[in-house]
Amino acid sequence: MQTSDCKITAQDAITESVFRIRLSAPGISKLCSPGQFVHMRVSTGLDPLLRRPFSIHRAHESAGEIELLYRVVGSGTATLRDLKPGDVVNLMGPLGNGFDLEKPVDHAVVVAGGMGGAPVFYLIDALLKRNKRVTLLWGTRDGREIFDEADFEARGVALKIATEDASKGHNGLVTDLLKTFLAQHAGSAGLGGYVCGPEPMIRAVQDIVRSTDFLWQASLEEQMACGVGVCLGCAVKLKTGEIQMVCKDGPVFDIREIAFNG
Amino acid sequence: MVDLSVKIGSLTLKNPVLTASGTFGYGREYDPYLDISQLGGIVTKTVTLEPRQGNPMPRIAETPAGMLNSIGLSNVGVEKYLNEKLPLLADVDTNVIANVAGNTIDEYAEIVSRLQHHPRIDAIEINVSCPNVEKGGLAFGTDASVTAAVVKGVRNQTGKPVIVKLTPNVTDIGVIARAAEDSGADAVSCINTVQGMGVNIHTRQPLLARIIGGLSGPAIKPIALAKVYQAAQAVRIPVIGLGGIMGWADAVEFLIAGATAVQTGTLNFIEPAGPVQLIQGLESYCITHNISRIADIIGSLEKRPVK
Repeated sequence: MQTSDCKITAQDAITESVFRIRLSAPGISKLCSPGQFVHMRVSTGLDPLLRRPFSIHRAHESAGEIELLYRVVGSGTATLRDLKPGDVVNLMGPLGNGFDLEKPVDHAVVVAGGMGGAPVFYLIDALLKRNKRVTLLWGTRDGREIFDEADFEARGVALKIATEDASKGHNGLVTDLLKTFLAQHAGSAGLGGYVCGPEPMIRAVQDIVRSTDFLWQASLEEQMACGVGVCLGCAVKLKTGEIQMVCKDGPVFDIREIAFNG
Repeated sequence: MVDLSVKIGSLTLKNPVLTASGTFGYGREYDPYLDISQLGGIVTKTVTLEPRQGNPMPRIAETPAGMLNSIGLSNVGVEKYLNEKLPLLADVDTNVIANVAGNTIDEYAEIVSRLQHHPRIDAIEINVSCPNVEKGGLAFGTDASVTAAVVKGVRNQTGKPVIVKLTPNVTDIGVIARAAEDSGADAVSCINTVQGMGVNIHTRQPLLARIIGGLSGPAIKPIALAKVYQAAQAVRIPVIGLGGIMGWADAVEFLIAGATAVQTGTLNFIEPAGPVQLIQGLESYCITHNISRIADIIGSLEKRPVK
């Protein structure tokens, strides 16, 4: 595997702080799977210095392109926002272990929160390709960060939305939608859970799904330096007491195995 | 043909580029990105007698042109290091330098006694400079007499080259470097990270869970160069320079300032193939400047004419 210079082919603003970028990355688009990430050097300068991890939002193998969805939070993402089609960034990847899509799941319930929801587009593409029934529970603070609803619905995804600004769907948290879903599907067979979002959401989901008897796979976000398990900066503790690295052992974990704060 | 080889005590490096401890795992993690046999050597992650989980999260943060870390010497422990990690390096054509740390002076000697017979270990680097542990580490490396005691203890256990990794967080690095030399060290490496800290002004929380960590990256290169220069002035044994090296030109600066070899650290995280590109850059520099042996530029700093 090599690092590769990848040309930006498109970049659009979803809101003033959330952007979707499309990159020419033939090698990565061929090798990647949902839940994996790329590690990006946004400039060759010394500041920002480190690479930034971005989960793959969508992969288009035939076009040799991938898409990323990001929020501008610091100097790295601000630099990325200012890049134009034709500009080049350097990518390492695909890195990490994605979702296990081979589990015998008939009905996938996908829980997405905020920017953590970026990888669910790719995940859902893959689940639909495998003829799974998909329910997407999607929550954001700002309703403008919910997009492509019609496309999901046209493809048969049961979409439930929660926004904290009351602009779309349920006024509240995505975990409210999850509680309702689980109450409606108590005892249903063939369910599989997929969770992407910020840590507080994943903690809450861990608590809610305790009584369910099927697998919940959660994708964790963490600050990273190396992205390959060397710097040991992105440690996560498992309930067994074992320390694992989000970048190399994850970012997808069985939600029941994660020990938040020990 | 440029002779890139240098000597650290009895150890010959085919070129002066090593990868720094804690930034290159146990040696094979970056195999997809570079051929480690092209390196002068690798320094493996600090190993301690018992496995260590490391410090609470968050353990890393970015600062301008730098990176704070407080990993806390997370490692597999000497048993697993010997049985599972070193065998992975059996067929690699480069020097393997084991970096070690202990909680007590005696532990340093004990861990070296466990490692020193292993044929794959070509040299030992003693970590008396980690800023992120309660015992040993920085607390030892800021005290010349404790540094001397650690080095003597290790020296009694092994005939392999002993390198002492120094902290910049001292008043005079020359004093500590001399203590290491006088106690039998074959080389010193400097610098380990510079103590640093960052604050999130919105949450008023420190960026690192342990509040203070170690700063690395290009932000510390001028500090590292000064310390390497001072150490090289103070001792006759070789000095290995590190701290913010991002390319071959940085490495040349360290060599001219007095380093016999260099280590890359934060660079490895950003450009995994960086160390090998750096070697190619050093060779080109030598060709451009008609230097047939890179060793000839070590400590070749010229005086500026008085104006």
